[in-house]
Amino acid sequence: MTDDVRELLERQARWQKSRKALSWSEKVRLAEAIRESILRLREAREPKSSESRAEPAPTRR
Amino acid sequence: MKELAQLLIAKREASVIQNHAVFGAVAQIRYTDPIATLDADVLVAVPAPDRLDVPSAINELCAERGCRAEGEAVRVGAWPAHFVPAFSPLMRDAMEQAETVDFEGVPLRVVRADHLAVIGLSVGRSKDRTRILSLLESGAVTRSQIADLAARHGLSGAWRRFEGRFSDDR
Repeated sequence: MTDDVRELLERQARWQKSRKALSWSEKVRLAEAIRESILRLREAREPKSSESRAEPAPTRR
Repeated sequence: MKELAQLLIAKREASVIQNHAVFGAVAQIRYTDPIATLDADVLVAVPAPDRLDVPSAINELCAERGCRAEGEAVRVGAWPAHFVPAFSPLMRDAMEQAETVDFEGVPLRVVRADHLAVIGLSVGRSKDRTRILSLLESGAVTRSQIADLAARHGLSGAWRRFEGRFSDDR
């Protein structure tokens, strides 16, 4: 492991530790933000109802 | 979450519930890093557990305060909340020994870390095992505290199996 990688991991560990030390209400607010992101991602993945109901375009013969 | 805390106080004042405590992921967040969760779980004690209309009384009070049903949950502020009757001795113990915490100026009862871990042990899903490991890693609970509480609730075997699988010594 290079010094750069070790330093990066140590910084990450410090950040994670500081996050754990936040108050419960602050951490709940973060969880709310995570939740909103998950819901938006789910919505983006699901096909829109208008798309799923759309009939195929008529073909010219 | 503050709205949920206020709703729970109103429910107790209206004698719809006798006691309550947040458990599950929202409670875990108190002791660990924030984690992803879609809803809030609340243990409740109702005055007459054998009455069938108690859930509707809970829902009526929610509706009076403008909270709408969302599937099996009730939307309270930003959170869909599940109100789970404390149906087992472990759940009752967890609720009765919960700690009251100031949540943005409103008191909110939250299940202790050792009870969260042992409830996780009793349920046994992958996310429950992850919860136990997170609680241990955060230092919120020790292995001996979990072992003691698990023994009191007949879960020593489940704890031994967990230890066998996730022991630090392996």
